[in-house]
Amino acid sequence: MIELRNVYKSFGENTILRDISLKIPPGQTTAIIGPSGTGKSVTLKHIVGLLRPDEGQVLCFGTDMATANEADLYKVRRRFGMLFQDGALFDSLTVGANISFPLVHHAPEMSEEERRAKVEEKLSLVGLPGIYDRPTSGLSGGQRKRVGLGRAIVTEPEVILFDEPNSGLDPITSDAIDALISEMKEALGITFIVISHDIVGTINVADHIAMLYGGNLVAFKPTEEFVRLDIPIVRQFLKRNLILPEGPDEVARLPGLE
Amino acid sequence: MNAVFAGLAGVGRYGLWVRDFCRALAAHGPPQGQTLAEAFRIGIKSLPILLIIAAFVGTNLALQGYNAFKPLGGQRLVGMFVSLAGVRELAPIIAAAMISAKAGTEMASQIGVMKIREQVDALEVMAVNPLAYLVAPRLIGIMLVLPALTIIAIFVMLSSAYLVSVHQLGLAGHEFIQFASESIEPIDFVYGAFKAMFFGLIICTISCYFGFNCGKGPAGVGQATNRAVVTSSVVCIALNYFLSEMLYGGAL
Amino acid sequence: MLAKLATIGRFGLFAGGIARRAAQRPVFYREVVAQLWTTSIRCVLPVVAVTFPFGMVMALQGLEIFRIFGAERMLSSLISIATLRELSPVLASVLVAAQGGSSCAASLGAMRIKEELDATEVMAIDSIKYHVVPRVIAMTIACPLLNIAGSIAGVGGGYFTAVYLKGESGGIFLAELWAFMGPMDVYGGIIKTTLFGLTIGLISCYHGFRATGGAAGVGKAVNDTVVHGIVAFITLNYFLTSALFGAVAP
Repeated sequence: MIELRNVYKSFGENTILRDISLKIPPGQTTAIIGPSGTGKSVTLKHIVGLLRPDEGQVLCFGTDMATANEADLYKVRRRFGMLFQDGALFDSLTVGANISFPLVHHAPEMSEEERRAKVEEKLSLVGLPGIYDRPTSGLSGGQRKRVGLGRAIVTEPEVILFDEPNSGLDPITSDAIDALISEMKEALGITFIVISHDIVGTINVADHIAMLYGGNLVAFKPTEEFVRLDIPIVRQFLKRNLILPEGPDEVARLPGLE
Repeated sequence: MNAVFAGLAGVGRYGLWVRDFCRALAAHGPPQGQTLAEAFRIGIKSLPILLIIAAFVGTNLALQGYNAFKPLGGQRLVGMFVSLAGVRELAPIIAAAMISAKAGTEMASQIGVMKIREQVDALEVMAVNPLAYLVAPRLIGIMLVLPALTIIAIFVMLSSAYLVSVHQLGLAGHEFIQFASESIEPIDFVYGAFKAMFFGLIICTISCYFGFNCGKGPAGVGQATNRAVVTSSVVCIALNYFLSEMLYGGAL
Repeated sequence: MLAKLATIGRFGLFAGGIARRAAQRPVFYREVVAQLWTTSIRCVLPVVAVTFPFGMVMALQGLEIFRIFGAERMLSSLISIATLRELSPVLASVLVAAQGGSSCAASLGAMRIKEELDATEVMAIDSIKYHVVPRVIAMTIACPLLNIAGSIAGVGGGYFTAVYLKGESGGIFLAELWAFMGPMDVYGGIIKTTLFGLTIGLISCYHGFRATGGAAGVGKAVNDTVVHGIVAFITLNYFLTSALFGAVAP
């Protein structure tokens, strides 16, 4: 239900995406990885319609995001939830107000108590119970991501997008966020699309991995096959964070991943 | 020459942004309940500085008017000079300049920060139109508040001019008041309010435009804020001539 | 209230520090010239873009009144006096505060946030001497220069409206231009704007240099600069005008 077909995108002289065709498997977790600047975030923004391709189609639930008008774009977006890099929370609102924001705007029939109950439920789910009335300004990076995730899931979307969920976090918090994403995966069973440069976390969490390099889609395979691929660029990229993996079992037994 | 074309391109982009904003407003309307709060907030924040500026503009109007007319023996006409210049031209301009300096920079800065921290994108992804949500309340707020601030500016200006005239320059108070009130008509207040509303429109749209088009990082925010205040002030003053021509030209 | 006093105190210390450093070697001449050029170029268009319309409006309103009394020929002296004594210095200063001051605060603020100022210090270069002093000097010089430009533009605007739009005589306009002016009118404006330039330079560098809190802090520094700059200058303007022109004999 989410598919990119022959997408080209340039910014001035730079061609960021070159003939990208990608079909996101529904109900599973797909990771898009690659070195910095290869267009991972750009791809994500195309899926949600924040950017439009120069050529090609971006099909989401039957609507082409490349040519849709605002009304259709908004209709499709209500089925998404997105976690931005720094959470993108609204500083003027409390944690609770931030998470209930999409409910306030798209589910006006809900009462104040119903909304609050839902928000509290999601706060527990992301591991931050009881901070409904906290102002956003004092939160740590990890907390902001959790609140951002709470906001992304509060409308019970069909697809959740993660823009570099581990960026800017120390290793311990990074692992905690990975664990949270795995739990969410189990709990919700919906489509996840994760942009990441954290190889270890990705391999743990993803069912499918797509790799972008130099504007091209270099590989797109289920995880077990991906780590065994013989393509030099893939091997090189994987090796950067791992010590000579022989296969997914070896990878799984590396310290800190249990 | 390049600068001229760049300037025109900027005006064009601004025009497109305004068009998008009008569409967004037509499709979505402003969020509930925020507009009056916004108006109040803008007004209260700008009030102190407005009072100070209006007071000192009044003092200088009196001083300079006195100086200019004294050689002609017309120093008693200060009241007339102050009220004509003050009410018709200076009060709306002062109010506009102060709002631009205080509220305009705030708008550009707030929206700019939201833009670079992806909060504007977040609004889009949550299917909430950022133009309707962020700009509309500010616009309506500023247009409601500026006429009120202009009227306040008028009174403060006249009062301080009176004080200077009587206590520093030694003129007769009742003459000042007499000449002043003879020179102003009720319609002048309406014109002043109209000018002010128009300036409010300019300041808000220009400041928000620069906020939305903010460049990256803290430098981008600073630049956006900078451009917002300068461009909106200059445009207001430049357009002021045409407004005055329309309202006052050939009226007598 | 106490906080405001503390701020003024800190500001005073900052200004004193700048004065001290400005008198010491090395003086970064090239930086001064670069800043002067940038500030002047950036401000000249806005200054002219406001003084010209103001001159136009003065001519418009002035003529409306003077025509009643048949005193049209007095228009140009009104415009020149008003422009040189008050309008041009005020507008030039406000715009230097808004444009020069805010871009100075913005650039210094961004440098502070991105730790560039710290980096300069670590390289054993006094960041105030290198970054701040040239900007302050530049603004002190630029402001009166822009005032001159503004005065010319203001009178030009008046001329344009009176002669081309309202059909007054160009010859009379120019002849009567200097009728009531004295040297103090020209010098007064220059004195005022030099002092204003210095004030705004100090204020904008103060706020930019001390910016904290990320990108929002830069926005706040710009905001504070414009607001404080305008308030400081308008207060100064009153006292200066009283001093300079209150004593003018007919």
